[in-house]
Amino acid sequence: MAELVCITGIGCLCAAGNGLDEVVNTIFAGQRRAASPRAFTTSHPQPYPVFAVEEGWDVEPEDADLLKTSRLGLAAMRQALDQAGWSVSDLRGLRVGVCMGTTVGCAMNNEAFYAGYRSGATPDMQPIRRFLASNPAEVIHRRLGVSGPCQTIVNACSSGTDAIGLGSQWLQAGLCDVVLAGGADELCRTTYNGFASLQISASELCRPFSVDRCGLNLGEGAAVLVLEKRSLRSDKSVQGLVRGYGSGTDGWHLTAPHPEGRGLRQALTEAFRTSGIQPSQLSFINAHGTGTRENDRAESLVLRECLPNIPFHTTKGYTGHTLGAAGAIEAALTLAFLLRQQMPASAGFGTPDPELAMTPTRVVTPFEGNLALSQSLAFGGNNAALILQRGERCL
Amino acid sequence: MTIKEKLKQILVEDLNLEDITPEEINDEDPLFGEGLGLDSLDAVELVVLVQKHFGVEIKDMEQGRPALQSVNTLAAFIEQNQA
Amino acid sequence: MTATGTTVYVAGIGCVGGFGAGIDAFRAALKQGCCSPTPLLQQHPDGQPFVPAYLAQTDKLSDFVPKRALRRLDHYARLALLGGYLALADAGLSAQDCEDLGVIIASGYGATGTTFGFLDSILNDGDSCASPTSFSTSVHNVAAAYLSMQMQALGPNLTVSCFEQSMTAALHNALCWLQSGRVRRVLVGGVDEHNPVVNYCYGRFFGTQTAAVLSPFSEQHSALPGEGAAFLLLTTERPGLSPVRLTDVASGSGVPTMAAPTDVVLAGADGHGATAPFYRRLSGETPALRSCTPCYGSLPTGQAFDLAAATLMLRDRCCYGLCAAPQTNEAGSCPAPQRISVVKYSGDGSYGHVRLQLEEGSRHA
Repeated sequence: MAELVCITGIGCLCAAGNGLDEVVNTIFAGQRRAASPRAFTTSHPQPYPVFAVEEGWDVEPEDADLLKTSRLGLAAMRQALDQAGWSVSDLRGLRVGVCMGTTVGCAMNNEAFYAGYRSGATPDMQPIRRFLASNPAEVIHRRLGVSGPCQTIVNACSSGTDAIGLGSQWLQAGLCDVVLAGGADELCRTTYNGFASLQISASELCRPFSVDRCGLNLGEGAAVLVLEKRSLRSDKSVQGLVRGYGSGTDGWHLTAPHPEGRGLRQALTEAFRTSGIQPSQLSFINAHGTGTRENDRAESLVLRECLPNIPFHTTKGYTGHTLGAAGAIEAALTLAFLLRQQMPASAGFGTPDPELAMTPTRVVTPFEGNLALSQSLAFGGNNAALILQRGERCL
Repeated sequence: MTIKEKLKQILVEDLNLEDITPEEINDEDPLFGEGLGLDSLDAVELVVLVQKHFGVEIKDMEQGRPALQSVNTLAAFIEQNQA
Repeated sequence: MTATGTTVYVAGIGCVGGFGAGIDAFRAALKQGCCSPTPLLQQHPDGQPFVPAYLAQTDKLSDFVPKRALRRLDHYARLALLGGYLALADAGLSAQDCEDLGVIIASGYGATGTTFGFLDSILNDGDSCASPTSFSTSVHNVAAAYLSMQMQALGPNLTVSCFEQSMTAALHNALCWLQSGRVRRVLVGGVDEHNPVVNYCYGRFFGTQTAAVLSPFSEQHSALPGEGAAFLLLTTERPGLSPVRLTDVASGSGVPTMAAPTDVVLAGADGHGATAPFYRRLSGETPALRSCTPCYGSLPTGQAFDLAAATLMLRDRCCYGLCAAPQTNEAGSCPAPQRISVVKYSGDGSYGHVRLQLEEGSRHA
């Protein structure tokens, strides 16, 4: 990557807190704020715990008519712009791009509308209007009134990682001066039922990489990074740098990862090749680590063979799996851990699995060094990885 | 229609096995791998289909694996567990 | 505006829509200026009739893919796969050429049929009978996943969705990838499917008194839903005959600044009242404002069809589609275009602008 891609602002909210500092404090305190879903009911014999954003974050009346996913994205955007010190009027004079990942934010799956349609009633069109007005990237683009390129990435669970990587490419190609990149997703009945039907939702708190792991917990939230060229404000302190991005394709199966982790290896190879960074330079790896049998098996194999002896953890046990937001939230967390030079305990890890032969961090672990990698695997065989570097934030 | 006949019909129609008819499925054909060529996504779909058509719950894959070997084993599981 | 250091060519196009499947069917419709939408005779139980729609068939997919491999593919994924294979064939590429092929799919609405099919499984039989197959085939990236699996196209794989700007966004990435050397070839396509629910929404939003055909430059609302897939095979390798270059991709709002001269502006005007004023403003900019939307209908990724049409116009050295100034629709009144700007507006006035150019001195195919 030629041009330095600087991260000058980080916004993040999820079940672990509203704002990156609160989220990180919750994680280092070892708190796991999961509960049965409150926003909807289902008829499953037993509930699957979820990581929901706690109330109190949703304070902007002008956002009220949007999907929650887009409101989460806007909240993360505000935090990120505050930290970056950008005003909306300053941004309008620049070429500003927007790249957001999501799953629910692009799905026309309003159940109340569709049930009405199906029953032969004349359903209220408000859910459809709201869907059409709520594309997560377009919402940010419109709210800021900028006119650069804009895209919502729908690569399922790697969307947030891809959004940050592709936004970095836009900067480096000279397409934009600033890119707001991240992801947003909300908990909803549709995905809740979908993951339950696939039998990969856990009825307890998730236990990623453990021998008795029993599936994932869904979560919700958003993160937005302000990416900008170093040359734009060379005196501005930066939170971090996007040093490398790679993606890879399994070409294998809709829901099962490639057994050898083909696409993930490809993503890692590209991220290292384009950044010129060696695996040995990494201080830690933020693994995808959903806690499903298949994900953790494929991911461990690749970690063992491609990135041996590098400490790793997963944050899914603190945030839940936030789908299209996961890669963005984890990029934000990876940067925060780099800035603290401490990595958290991998929540939920108990007994090692001899088959995986990999043990994530069990306790809060200090480290030296400035580089880390965050990776995501997705349905459809999408895999993506980011290499992030610690910035010069004054703590 | 017997349970086995119904199962074969479900396999072909609900799993969209476009190149085979229910009559061509043998009771002891392995459902996965070399037999009918079903995969992990078909396995979880079958769990739902068994619940929907026969009212029989397969709690998880631990319980499901022995039942989901062939039409024979699945039919036997359904018979044992039907109310 | 993406400046091009490396030259990017459109080496192949593939499309399927209300006009049929393949270049010949598309060209025939373009020459005619329109094709007929299919009347949908049923009505919603609340009494609202469905509006006519430009519907696409995917039978031709069996030329490319064995039946068993299609068993889980819904209409959305089939449209994508057929469009993709047709573009590969047009570029003269076979399955062996795909190993490092990048894939980018743009979709406004994704797999709507399967999305609602999943809700059906819940509404019919309860939460615990939700269909895992429907759920996992309702995600937007399923079409790109099938392309990668079926073609073993194992380069970068991406799906983007932002309504009318989806195709322009896809092309921003494609140009970045090609110019940085990330890929040598990338298959970029727009895919959207028709669905009764979408059709019903048309009726609720715009009424069911529809025009007989879509009239792109009329002041009246005349949008009729369309569906299909249109793909471009982009490459940095110069094709032998009639090389069409993709020179610029730009996003903005208002009236696009044409960075370089253009002979024809191909407008994605698809009969929607919300965007009509934006397209009308373009007609003052250039006399050669044309549109091909009556050949394929209104869909968020219609711009993909305009790009396929513009490529054909440059290759064939001939103007197709309807002209905003009706008197210039007569044969021979439009000189052979060398440069075409394809412009697509969203309802808020954002545009995506893509410019194609026939390489100078190229010989006629």
